Amino acid sequence: MLEITSLTKRYGKLTALDDVSLRLQPGEFLGLLGPNGAGKSTLMSLISGLKRADAGTVTINGSIATAASSDVRQQLGFVPQNIALYDELTAEENLQVFGQLFGLNRATLKTRIDEGLTAVGLADRRRDRIKTFSGGMKRRLNLIAALLHRPKLLLCDEPTVGVDPQSRNAIFEFLQQRNAEGLTVIYSTHYMEEATRLCSRIAIIDHGKILADGTHQDLLNHLPSREQLFLPLGGPSTAALPDLARFGSIASTDEGHTIGLTPGTLLSAVFTVLESHHVPTSSCRLTRPGLEDVFLHLTGKAFRE
Amino acid sequence: MNSVLTLLRKDIRLFFRNKVAFSLTFIVPVVLIYVFGSVFGVNRSSSGPAGIPIAVVSQTDARVATSITDGLRAESSFRVITTWADENDQQIPLTEERVRALIHDNKLRFALVFPSDTISDESFGLKLKFLNNPRNEIETQTVNGLLQKVIFTSAPTALIDGLRKRAANFIGTEATDKFYSNLANTIADSFGLDPAAVKADMDAGNLVMGPSANAAEDETAPSANPATDFIGELIQIDNQQLAGANVKSPGATRVVGGWAIMFLLFSVSGASTALFEEKQAGIFHRLLASPVRRSHILWSKYLFNTLLGIVQLLVLFLAGQLMFGIEVVPHLPSLLVVVIVASLACTSFGMLLSSIASNPAAASGLATFLILTMSSIGGAWFPTSLMPEFIQSISKLTLVYWSMEGFLAVLWAQKPLIEILPTLGVLLAMATVVSAFSLWRFNRGNLFD
Repeated sequence: MLEITSLTKRYGKLTALDDVSLRLQPGEFLGLLGPNGAGKSTLMSLISGLKRADAGTVTINGSIATAASSDVRQQLGFVPQNIALYDELTAEENLQVFGQLFGLNRATLKTRIDEGLTAVGLADRRRDRIKTFSGGMKRRLNLIAALLHRPKLLLCDEPTVGVDPQSRNAIFEFLQQRNAEGLTVIYSTHYMEEATRLCSRIAIIDHGKILADGTHQDLLNHLPSREQLFLPLGGPSTAALPDLARFGSIASTDEGHTIGLTPGTLLSAVFTVLESHHVPTSSCRLTRPGLEDVFLHLTGKAFRE
Repeated sequence: MNSVLTLLRKDIRLFFRNKVAFSLTFIVPVVLIYVFGSVFGVNRSSSGPAGIPIAVVSQTDARVATSITDGLRAESSFRVITTWADENDQQIPLTEERVRALIHDNKLRFALVFPSDTISDESFGLKLKFLNNPRNEIETQTVNGLLQKVIFTSAPTALIDGLRKRAANFIGTEATDKFYSNLANTIADSFGLDPAAVKADMDAGNLVMGPSANAAEDETAPSANPATDFIGELIQIDNQQLAGANVKSPGATRVVGGWAIMFLLFSVSGASTALFEEKQAGIFHRLLASPVRRSHILWSKYLFNTLLGIVQLLVLFLAGQLMFGIEVVPHLPSLLVVVIVASLACTSFGMLLSSIASNPAAASGLATFLILTMSSIGGAWFPTSLMPEFIQSISKLTLVYWSMEGFLAVLWAQKPLIEILPTLGVLLAMATVVSAFSLWRFNRGNLFD
């Protein structure tokens, strides 16, 4: 579906994207996860042909994507980070404009507008001007506008920024449904929970480089431990540490000790040691690592939103 | 107090970083004050305009022609033209026929002709022809007033000339000379002067009618003084309006073009800032991710602004017809062509603003600066002929000037379209150059990033 090869983009001395390569199969839902300024939007712009790469190529269904390749654009849907709609036009008029740009005839366009508005719960607001919409409603319409021409690949550049939970869920469900119908999606976000919930595959990007790429579980496998046991400072906890060291690496901070449990560790064995040192289990906390931990592990720094 | 000072420092810093606010506060007023000052002569020792071209054609050897021409030359408000460069770039004396052609072509707007019977043997007084194209009221009134002043100042001398000539016809040259010699002797006896000096002054026309003859020098309204009224009756000026004589509503027709083009520029510049709004809304990204190209976006804006301009100008002119009786409908075909070309030029200007400004505020500030400057020096507010010569040169670089030329050619001079083509050519050339530059800027700028 999509093949990105050694893509590089520079803005003066800043390398926004550095030798990025990715391959996407039809029907995949790829999350592009990274902090602000990581290069997500630049990558989106290069895929959609908005910007020209300094090096590398983007191929969509065998055709190289450039600013001039209108056949490639017919296969692409792009949901920009901003609400790219005309405030003074109604929902229906906005969709008519964007649908007509893709050459949809009147009958097809009407059908698609009806379907789209119904799907995101805006059918009853079709004749209202966008300026009267809430942020969430605008976001939903923003999404519909990119799908009128039935693209094969949808690029969503942080499409839920500033959205209320209800609209966010509506957007998620809509995207998941379209993905289930075969739509390939690239979804850039700096919200880990969005990437975890939506994406079958996640690429972590920072400083213009893809640091890791795989399923959620693949990414977690980058970590040396699966579970972490947190013990508060002082009392019997400190005395138990030498015996706990065999279960994994121990990191101590001002708040307490974190033991990264070695994969395969039996929790019953760990709790037996804790009981033998009279450490109250109510003061312990067992956590599963998340993508933030993966990011921390890969970059040595916390994920900055 | 510390808080106030901190906030004050912040405001000062913000102000100086805001180039638009800075230019609107300082640069725009300075430029406009300079233009206004130049028009009203506040920067010169003598107030009033300077260097209004006026052609002088003399078909007589009467001394009055030289005298009035010298008076015109001495008047700093006028630039007297007596010759014209022919095809070989040779300066040749102006003829009345040539002057009429030049006025018809709007290369001149005023000419004073001394006909062969300026001073006639048959009648006592002066005959002059004033050929004019009063397409600008302020300019015309100014020229009329100044011309009257110069003529009335020089008239007494001229009238004495005529009186002597007439006397000579009746009683003969010898008897006339004898009469003037006797008169000179009587004056010399009465006032203890040298008779020869008095006679010489009388021959030169300088010793007659006393203070009242020179009173006109200080009068801007001749009818205020009985002496000048008397002189006025003796001076016959054949006022010939060579253009706009058939215009039904001259006052409104003169100004409508300038006003219309100024408002069009404001409209077009406002519409062009829509490019920035669409950029900020991220709409360009959405559009460019579709089969739309940058050139499609720019062309759509160009066409929209041009159509908007055409409709706005036509509405303004038709409103002028309804409200002030400007004759628009009879000239509609020619006017429509000028309106289309002027709209193209104004749209190019709007695109230029979008291409060189970095944000809507900068575009808006730049638009205000350029529109007010172009309108003032382009002649929308004051006739360019009242401005310093170097500003007149600059004014010809503005599309306001050439648009007004086009509108006045249709509505005032009522010229056929073929005669307006050079003006339209200039406007189209401006539109082409400005559009090409804008396109170059758009390709290098970050409007679509």
